[in-house]
Amino acid sequence: MNRSIDKVPELCESQEDYCKKFIERIIKTNREVFILSCLLEKQMCGYDLIKDIFTKCDVFLSQGTVYPILYTLEEEGLLIAEYSRGDMRSKKYSLTPRGREVAERDIEEFANALEQTSSLIKR
Amino acid sequence: MLRNAVNGLENLLMNEIPAGSVILVNGAEGTLKSGLVFSMLSNHITVTGEHGLYVSLEQTKWSHLQNMNSLRIKKVDGLHIFDYQDMRKEWIDRELDFSTMTEEVIDFYKNKYDNLKVFALDSLNALYSISDDAPLRKKMYHFFLSLREEGLTSFLIMESPPSRLSTQFTEWHQPERFLADGTIELGMVEVNGVVKRYIQILKMRATRHAMEKHQITIDENGLNILGPIY
Repeated sequence: MNRSIDKVPELCESQEDYCKKFIERIIKTNREVFILSCLLEKQMCGYDLIKDIFTKCDVFLSQGTVYPILYTLEEEGLLIAEYSRGDMRSKKYSLTPRGREVAERDIEEFANALEQTSSLIKR
Repeated sequence: MLRNAVNGLENLLMNEIPAGSVILVNGAEGTLKSGLVFSMLSNHITVTGEHGLYVSLEQTKWSHLQNMNSLRIKKVDGLHIFDYQDMRKEWIDRELDFSTMTEEVIDFYKNKYDNLKVFALDSLNALYSISDDAPLRKKMYHFFLSLREEGLTSFLIMESPPSRLSTQFTEWHQPERFLADGTIELGMVEVNGVVKRYIQILKMRATRHAMEKHQITIDENGLNILGPIY
């Protein structure tokens, strides 16, 4: 089949689109790992986390999917929450020492799993 | 098991509430709506070992627990409480779709706990007041449907105006009444100069139930449902 040159941008676009959708799916099904990864860098509130992931990955995680994760991680003792001085509007979350261990382990396992998946389909 | 979740409730419900029912719990302020629902969920979970979710739109988790503690109603481990306070504070400038978010919150807890079987929303009025009314009313059908599809036995708390004390449940919240499988009314009535709290089951699909107003009291052991008021 002959492909006309003017179809190339279209192909590139659809590849980009596929990639974007794939990344979005990966992030949405592994929200917890991405949230832990953000919190490894600095303490954040739910709003900061959603904004940070959107800025870095162009993926919007809705509030109803992020806040329950924060609350249960806090209950499990992996996060600690505190109001910052002079800003009672946002509750900032940071990792506890155990949370940091779990975050590092989960991120490594996640990265390994992605790598293995990728090597499985490469010829 | 829900019919045994509050002392005396078994005298009002002759058989069990079918799983997946959506039940409105309606009443004026101070009529123990939150207390009744929280107590039912808590006691049910203690016996069955299931998990439950209590979503509070009006109060924070801590103020709700304080309130329950003052009523001697204990929270059990399997009962999870979610409140929207942080979200509302941090996203103050944004329009939030609370009915969709509540569905997402339910999905999260259902995925985390396989046997999440009971759910409560406190309250539908708050959901309406913080959302754009017209589309939300239309969404209610979908919301009720999704609760049923999740197989959750759900209690939706609704506050009625104080002026309705001791009157019959009439024109209020008609759409919800039609959509719900059950309606429990809580109220206050004056009998011989004494104000008494009552519970009345107005509707409960697939369940035989008493129709009379029964007195509801609170003591050191929590809630008790006594005999008919009249």
